[in-house]
Amino acid sequence: MSIRPPTLREKKRYVLARIDPAGITPDPKDLYYAVYEAVVSLFGDMAAAAMQPSVLAVEKGCVILRCRRGAEREFAIALSTLSGCRETPLALRVLAVSGTIESLRERIAELASRKDPEGGPGDVVLPPAEGLCEPSQYRFGSEPVDIIVWDGRKVDALEKGFKNARRLFLTTEDLEIIHATTISDGL
Amino acid sequence: MKITDACVFPFPAGDSSVRRFALEARSLGYDSIVAVDITAGTISGVDIIPGMILGGIPAKDVQGRAKKNRGTGTVLSVQVGDNGFNRAVAGTSGVHILRGIATADKLAFDHVAAKIAADNSTALDIDLSPLIFGRGHLRQKAIHRYLDLMVLHRRFEFPLTISSSACSVLGLRAVREAAGLCSLFGMDESDVQEGFAGVSRVIGSNKETVRVV
Repeated sequence: MSIRPPTLREKKRYVLARIDPAGITPDPKDLYYAVYEAVVSLFGDMAAAAMQPSVLAVEKGCVILRCRRGAEREFAIALSTLSGCRETPLALRVLAVSGTIESLRERIAELASRKDPEGGPGDVVLPPAEGLCEPSQYRFGSEPVDIIVWDGRKVDALEKGFKNARRLFLTTEDLEIIHATTISDGL
Repeated sequence: MKITDACVFPFPAGDSSVRRFALEARSLGYDSIVAVDITAGTISGVDIIPGMILGGIPAKDVQGRAKKNRGTGTVLSVQVGDNGFNRAVAGTSGVHILRGIATADKLAFDHVAAKIAADNSTALDIDLSPLIFGRGHLRQKAIHRYLDLMVLHRRFEFPLTISSSACSVLGLRAVREAAGLCSLFGMDESDVQEGFAGVSRVIGSNKETVRVV
């Protein structure tokens, strides 16, 4: 089948969305199924067929999606009902809609280069590097936690324990350093 | 006009700290959030309004709790029940929000309850979580209830609030996304703005009722 001339092609729109929580990179195929399920469950098969949703790329914590031109608003609504991908809870935050993938890639590069302006240490001593950290000596409340992602002021941690190993969404101000104020008996 | 998420559940009910909620809420376009069982404050430029939810207790007990709660600055939300309960609670001074209409009975909130709510400035909450996390019948029922609620709102003009009822920051939705979800049941832009400003409206209206003559 020959490629249609530009005037006869269907017009598309490309949607850039950030993947929350940070540090999760879902498989594009799994994400496509999740997005398609969200569209179909909200608008039905007819609207999904007209919308033609698809996932083009997952890169640097963002995802580039595609839909037919004119359906981007409904597509964004359907994306806001997405709450997980293969048992992994996540949310897609729509950042931009464009007519070309290239401009969205530029936007991703811009986002990656930009740091959180308020990503200061505050009252607690932070590890020097952001991103994935080793299990450390922090606690939240009375429970010790393992830091898994450190992104500016945002900290994602795992509760330590056999039963409750849920992911906690915290900030640097929520964390305390274990034994930070311990004074030896000799003093 | 403040843009307020009318109900979130920070740690320990949820998995996110109130600071993280505030941080995310600011990035998603909110000015304030109503956080259940949290003290008031301002974090990262977002006002934290303490909230309390009552459910499964008789209307008389609700009246007693509302009386105790008066003047504390806490937003008191009551889970809807049957029709008689809702009429009684909607007319109770000190009750700010009726919530849970998405899962209530079809006849639980009728035109009489709507009139009482409008007279008493009691808001009806539009909870987005059944739309986000629900599928199939649950979501269809929620959309149907909200469509019905909007008919009554246009007739009686009682206040509305919009909440995510998020236990996690992943359950929060941006203001624009919430507006998109609300458009599913016929809310236009002005309705959505009014819904986001609903909490400040009901708190303000209760302040006005305390008047020394």
